[in-house]
Amino acid sequence: MTHPLAPVGSALAARAVRYVLIGVSGANLYGPGGQAVFTTDDFDLFLPADADNLVNAWAACEEAGLDLWLGDEPLDRPRDRWLADRIVPQRALTRGTGPDGLQVDLTLVMKGFEFETVWPERRAFLVEGVEIPTARLLYIVMSKQAAGRLKDQLFLTTHKDALEQLLKPPK
Amino acid sequence: MDPDLERALRGLEEAAEFARTYRFEMTEDYLELVARVEALPRNQAGADKSGRWLGSRHYWDSIERGRFIDSKP
Repeated sequence: MTHPLAPVGSALAARAVRYVLIGVSGANLYGPGGQAVFTTDDFDLFLPADADNLVNAWAACEEAGLDLWLGDEPLDRPRDRWLADRIVPQRALTRGTGPDGLQVDLTLVMKGFEFETVWPERRAFLVEGVEIPTARLLYIVMSKQAAGRLKDQLFLTTHKDALEQLLKPPK
Repeated sequence: MDPDLERALRGLEEAAEFARTYRFEMTEDYLELVARVEALPRNQAGADKSGRWLGSRHYWDSIERGRFIDSKP
């Protein structure tokens, strides 16, 4: 597998982890194959506030060779239900890092949306044969608008141009 | 101060001012574009998106291959 998300997605699927890909990397998947729309090495995975699901997500990331972090510190061990029960109420983000700058954020927050709203309308895209549940593009851009950070606003501005390019008929 | 440096600093100040005041407005036009992209056949469930990462990687590779060209005569 050459796409860094494929091994992670495969491990997540094997453990039946519920998540959707959001953020810039999610928006990118709506572009045509083989063309970058926006560059990013980060993958934002939105998970429900479910401790067991989070434990399984951690295990899957470890199986895929990622190191897990909570803030600047390695995630405590054992990475079990007890630990997840303390992280979920705070909606704290855990991060997986891997080779070549790969960064996979396990977030329990998608600004403006609840997981159970996003999940039923996910698009299951295939990356090297692995199903990657991806949030609707509409929800991704609306969440970015709700977040309102400067980087989100700049993304939305340039993204509109990119969408117009995507819709142009091929020459 | 070197005129080139002065111009560059002025540009940075203008960019910072723009960043402080800029607000993106979501429009019906934008939402319609999003809906059209979502509806494309290539964006339906099961679509193969394996090529996405290559684009990013090629972008960074192209930067690493870049070299500085002095524009001064």
